[in-house]
Amino acid sequence: MAFYEHTFVGKQDLSDKEIDNLVSKYSDIIKKSGKILKTEKWGLLNLATKIKRNRKGIFIHFKFEGKNKIVKDIEKKLSIENGIIRYLTVKYNKLDLNKEYFNFKKKNKFYEKR
Amino acid sequence: MKRDKKRKGKKSNYKNRLSLFQRPDIRFNRSCPLSVKDAPSIDYKNIKLLRKYISDTGKILPSRITSVCQNKQRKLSSAIKKAKILGLV
Repeated sequence: MAFYEHTFVGKQDLSDKEIDNLVSKYSDIIKKSGKILKTEKWGLLNLATKIKRNRKGIFIHFKFEGKNKIVKDIEKKLSIENGIIRYLTVKYNKLDLNKEYFNFKKKNKFYEKR
Repeated sequence: MKRDKKRKGKKSNYKNRLSLFQRPDIRFNRSCPLSVKDAPSIDYKNIKLLRKYISDTGKILPSRITSVCQNKQRKLSSAIKKAKILGLV
């Protein structure tokens, strides 16, 4: 049972309702034969370059544990999903769950500078 | 490794200086900033760190300029490429 980190980037005009059912749809796939350790919503971040004509993307991040069959199912479904522009899965042998890089409680001035 | 042997000869005389006219002992003994005790962890999500090691046009800076040791540079470049895929950097 390897550890995986999966993030996908949704279009900026996705409504919250669509995002929620996206998250629930993919977490059900993971729950079938794996275990979700953490899900993070990084929210609306502006992208470094234009990806498929949008400048901002909504980032959703999963940390889960399971077999590689899950990753194949997710990526098969994600490629035909039209609301998603980019996805990335990374395999780890151990995960540290407490380190968070994208929780902007206060408005992060780091992003205004760019 | 053969590659290292080739580089070892060249590395000694112009260790870490940019141009011929720069005095060689300006940055002679700069240690690797990422292998100090509590260095930030190299991760594709840690864009504040990654942004230090790419140029303004988005290219990865070579380790002879940023004086990062070799295995950290490998981890850094793979993290930067993953961040570029996601459009974070």
